[in-house]
Parts: sequence; structure tokens; C-alpha cells
Amino acid sequence: MREAPQVEEAPAARVGRPLFGRPERLQVDEKCLIRTNKSGKIMANITYTMGVDVGGSYVKTVLMQFIDSKPKVIGKHTEKIRKRNPEEVSEEAVQYLLEKHSIRYDDIVYLASTGEGEMVKKKRGHFYSMTTHARGATFFYPDAKTCVDIGAFYVKAIMLGDRSRVMNYKMTGQCASGSGQFIENISRYLGLAIGEVGPASLESTTPELPSGICAVLAETDVINMVSRGISTPDIIKGIHLSVAGRIVRLLTSLKAESPIVLTGGLALNVGMVQAIQELLEKSKHKMEVKTHEDANYAGAIGAAIWGEYRHEKLLKEEAAAYA
Amino acid sequence: MKKLHETIEKAADLAFDMHFTAAKEWKSAQPDRVLIGHLPIYFPKEIIHAVNGLAVSIFGTGDRMQIIKGDAYYQSYICHLPRGVIELALNDNLDGFDGFIFPSICDVIRNLSGMFKMLEKGKFVKYMDFPQNFRSEVGGNFYRSEMEHVLSEIKKINGVSLNIERLNEAIVLFNKNRRLINEIYDIRQETPWKLTISDFYQIIRGGMVVPVQQHNEMLEIVCEELQHNIGEPMDKIKVVVSGAFCEQPPVGLLKTIEAAGCYVIDDDFTLGARWLEADVEENTSDPIGALVDAYLKHSTFSSAVYDVGNPKGERLVALARKRKADGIVFAAPSFCDPAMLDRPLMQMVCEREGLRYIDFQYHENIGQFKVIKEQVGAFSDSIKLWDDTLVA
Repeated sequence: MREAPQVEEAPAARVGRPLFGRPERLQVDEKCLIRTNKSGKIMANITYTMGVDVGGSYVKTVLMQFIDSKPKVIGKHTEKIRKRNPEEVSEEAVQYLLEKHSIRYDDIVYLASTGEGEMVKKKRGHFYSMTTHARGATFFYPDAKTCVDIGAFYVKAIMLGDRSRVMNYKMTGQCASGSGQFIENISRYLGLAIGEVGPASLESTTPELPSGICAVLAETDVINMVSRGISTPDIIKGIHLSVAGRIVRLLTSLKAESPIVLTGGLALNVGMVQAIQELLEKSKHKMEVKTHEDANYAGAIGAAIWGEYRHEKLLKEEAAAYA
Repeated sequence: MKKLHETIEKAADLAFDMHFTAAKEWKSAQPDRVLIGHLPIYFPKEIIHAVNGLAVSIFGTGDRMQIIKGDAYYQSYICHLPRGVIELALNDNLDGFDGFIFPSICDVIRNLSGMFKMLEKGKFVKYMDFPQNFRSEVGGNFYRSEMEHVLSEIKKINGVSLNIERLNEAIVLFNKNRRLINEIYDIRQETPWKLTISDFYQIIRGGMVVPVQQHNEMLEIVCEELQHNIGEPMDKIKVVVSGAFCEQPPVGLLKTIEAAGCYVIDDDFTLGARWLEADVEENTSDPIGALVDAYLKHSTFSSAVYDVGNPKGERLVALARKRKADGIVFAAPSFCDPAMLDRPLMQMVCEREGLRYIDFQYHENIGQFKVIKEQVGAFSDSIKLWDDTLVA
């Protein structure tokens, strides 16, 4: 029960464990599927990888298919951690995607974790979150020069080089007011669902900025704004501008280049994206800001793509070692 | 697997028992037994074993004890190890020890030996100079006299004189000990996922506070268990850790390095346990001479050893090449002068030889590993994904 049509099972080409296969049988990895023509000639290799991004609030999981190393997202799943054990949440998320797409764990050539995902079971490797977001950004937009990962607790601005290389980065400190969790808290105080925050921000006419940069003081500010009768859209927009200000400062100090790709959960927030664009325009930085509907999966996608890269590389190294 | 887990647990209990209970129990079993504490890096434990003694390695308190009194003895710009050691002494954790030996590493350890003398800890305190002249007739004779001085101090305590037969027996036991440890390093070089570096570290450290026979039994169990196909291989780079020869890194740091994408396949933690890179000659008529000869000819490299003609940088790179390591992690304790002085010289050799490295500092009771995790994670990824670039 494979996902891809016109795909035949590989002939019995077991090579043992991926890292320590026997060279004489390395033509096709046991976890690969191959596409053949009628005469049995191999036309394409199909492999599957998974990326698991354990963040501060959510576990994001993607299932990717590679046809001759060309990546395609075929499944994705987000699970809020709440107060559960992230290890168990990750395990459930992986199982969910595998079952949904009728793929066995053994069909996955590389399960890669990222973020805080060192505890993810059955993983073959772990990648650093900046590396995976960088790769996720270039997957969305190959011309990306800068990536801004706006997560629950940190914002990281990353300069990208060739082959999605991390050239330099700047990140916010540990203050909560530069993070997605802060905006989530504010939305809860205002009685907004997280999905309503972005659209509400776009309705603002006279945004009200919080007086301080401290999250605790800003939350007190919001309570005062509500009591002063400031509209919800204006409060939200003010908060977005406050966080966007921090991001623009990071970009400025990094000497970021355009286009900038936003990744992480907050990149889906249209109000946040607009606030960043507005501030960049005001600061006279001619920057193109891009986001993507799967921006929150950037880390998981990057991990899955790097996983496939490593899988191929290890196979080649292994073959070379035995040659 | 069960035996392996039990051995690791037992070793961890021994390694971080700040009261040295096992050693004290060993001593109490016979009236003429003596306990001798020694500081890092190396001390020839064979001579203590031969005169009915147990040489116990003291590595400080790590992250297992809050330092309250110890901080009053040292300025803020001094490393952490001596604070823990003096805390142990002042809290009476070292009561029952008959003597203390402070091998020559640095001025801090020299001063610590002075403090022990002033505090009148044990029946003798010796700052033991190790020869920096490796000619037999100069450094060799000096080293022999240093060992004989230690033996004379012990004889004053328990009346036991050195017996050639017993020293030869001790040499056989410690040779076996080093061989077993090296065998595990060799196994881990090829299959590091079978035993984590943090578990291995505890297995070695735990054995340095009990009689060598007991440690050998533990190591034999580990070697046997590692013959089985255990653990799952992960896609990680292989690294050698350098700089942690005296103040030991906390276990959490070792776990962080491995969790961030590295297999530590060689290191200089508890370096004294395998200081000698070859066997000491066995069954000789002059076993002390054999120990001297082994020290002069087969010592490993370290920042505490003068190294003209045998430079450390080249030896480190050779070690990394031998272990087929992808890179070097320079991890040294804050304010460790010997490690810090050598680091740039060693890094120059790494750069010249195209061996990648990163460096950071730690202290033995560090509890936050976030920054180190980021650094090591980025290092690992840079090698795994863009291995044509030198990271420095």
C-alpha cells in the first residue's frame, strides 16, 4: 500500500542496516522503492524521510517523499505539547503520519529530529534547529538570503549561504517579549483564538504600542489598554509592532539581505508579517519579506531534507569504504 | 544488558560518592591497610598497592556538592577543582585517609598541597614533582627518589616495606586495567553507540576509588557485554575531546555533547587511568625501575608535561587520525592555565592539518548547557552537511 502510483516494490535487495550495508548489494537501499519501466529498467528511486521538530509549544512532523532526490511534502502534522512528555507526543505524531499514509517505519530511510528533539525515539540523526530552518527556507524559496525563525521562545535571524549554509545569525535573548508564546498569552487575555490574532491586527487603525519591552510589563499594559477602551485590533497591532521592532533590529545588526523568509509558527500570522514589512519600509530597508503556508513546518521539512542528504551520503561513503 | 546496566550504576555510585565509603570500608577490613588520596593527573598507583595501600583518585566535588567554604580559599579567577577538594577536606569527607599526594600540574595544585599541610590533613602530604627531563640518569633517578619518598612515608604509617614480588603483582594488575580500558576505547571507536561516553566515563572514574582487582572485574563485564549487538547506531560525527585532564566535566556536559550530534571516541577525562601508553615491564628484579622506564618512555601527552621534541599538537592530531575522528572538541575548565596555554598551539596544528575543531570552556559544576549544545550542534551539522569547509 504505497503512496506513489506506478511504483513497484524493489526486488529483494536487502543491504542490512543502513550504515553498515554490504557493498556488493548496495545498488538499491532496502528502504528505497524503485520505479521501473516495463522491461524492468530502473527509472527512478523513491525514498521517504521524516522530520520531527520539537519546539517550545508544538511538535511538528512531516513525511517527505524523494523521487530521485527531489523532495515533496506528502504528509504533515502538528501536535500541541501542552503539559505532556514531548517524547511521547513525538512518538504519537510519527505514528499518526505513518498510519495515515500507510507507510511502515521501516520504509523511512532517515527519521531526523530537530529543535529540542534529541529525545525522539527511533531517530537516525538530529540536526541543529538553525540548520534545518535554513534548509526549510530555501525549500520554500530557493533564492532566500535570510531566514527568520520566529518560534515560541526565541527569534533567530539567519544569513544563508550556498547549499543553505548558516553563515551568521543573531537571536533574541531569553526575554519572553520577543517570542510567539508572548503573543499567544496576549491573545488569550483578549479572548481571541490564536487564528484570529492575525486578521484582527489587520483591522487596526491606530495601533497602541506597549510602553516597555518586558513581557510582564507589556501584559500589564494590555490590561490597562483594555480598561482604557482601546480596541482589540489596535492592541494586537501594537503588540505585533513591538515584536516586529525586535526582529527588524536583529535583521539590521545582521546586515540581512533580501529576500527574507519567515519561518516558525508566527510566520503564519498575517498581522505579524505585515508589521515586519511596515517597519522594514519605515526603516528604508528595501527588503522583500516572504512567508509560506507551511512556514511552521520549516524546521521539520529542513530536517527531513537533510536526512535524505545524509542517507545518500552515508550510502556513498559506505560503498567507497568497501570498494 | 542487565549486567552492563548494573555495572554502570555501581560505577556511578562509586564515582560520585563524596564520602569514599567503599575505600574506607576496604581500609577498615585490615589494620595495616592505608588510604592514600591523590589529585589528577597521574600517580603510579602500583607502589601504593604493593605496600598494602589503596590509592584513591580525588577529582573534587563536581556538581555533587555545594561549595560554601571552598570559595573562601580561592580567588574568583582560580579554577573550580581545588574549591571542591578543600570543601571535602573541611567537611571531614576525607577523614580516614592516611596521606595525600599532589602531582605537579600547576601552581593551584601546589598551593592546595600547602593548604592540606596547614590543615594537617592525613599523616603526610606530598607535592610530588614529576620529571620534565626524560633522560634516565636525570629524570629517571629523580622520579625513583620521589616514589621511594612516598613509600618511606607509608612505611612510617603501617610498617610495610616494599616487596619486589608484590610490586610485580601490582604491575600485572594495573597493566591489565589499562589494557581493558583501552579495549573499550577500541570497541567504542568502531561502535560508539554501544556505550555512551557518560557511562564509560563513570565506569572508569568509579574504578579509581576501589582496589584495581574490583575495577578489573567491572571492566571485564563491560568488555564482555560490548561483544553483543546492543544499541542503535545514530548519524553522528566522531570527535576527540581535549583539555579536560584535571577538573572533570560534569556528566551533563558529556551527555550534551553526544545529544548534540557527536560520538566522543577519545578524550583526556580521568587521564591518569591510561597515562601509560604501553605495559610496564612485568616480573622484573627492579619493578620500580620498570615504572620509571614506563613513565619516561610511554607517557601520554598532556599540558602538564614539557614536550620539546614530542609536541602535543601533533600527538593530538595523530590520536584523532588513529581514531578516525571527524573533529576535535577543545573543552577546558575555566581558568585552567595549562590547558588554555596549550590550546592555541594545538589549534594551530589542527588548522595546519585540516582537522576541524571547536572550543569552549566549562566548570565542573556547570548546570546550563544550552550554549554549548548550540555550539556543538552547529559544529556537528557543519561537518555532516558541508564537510568541505574548515570550521574554526
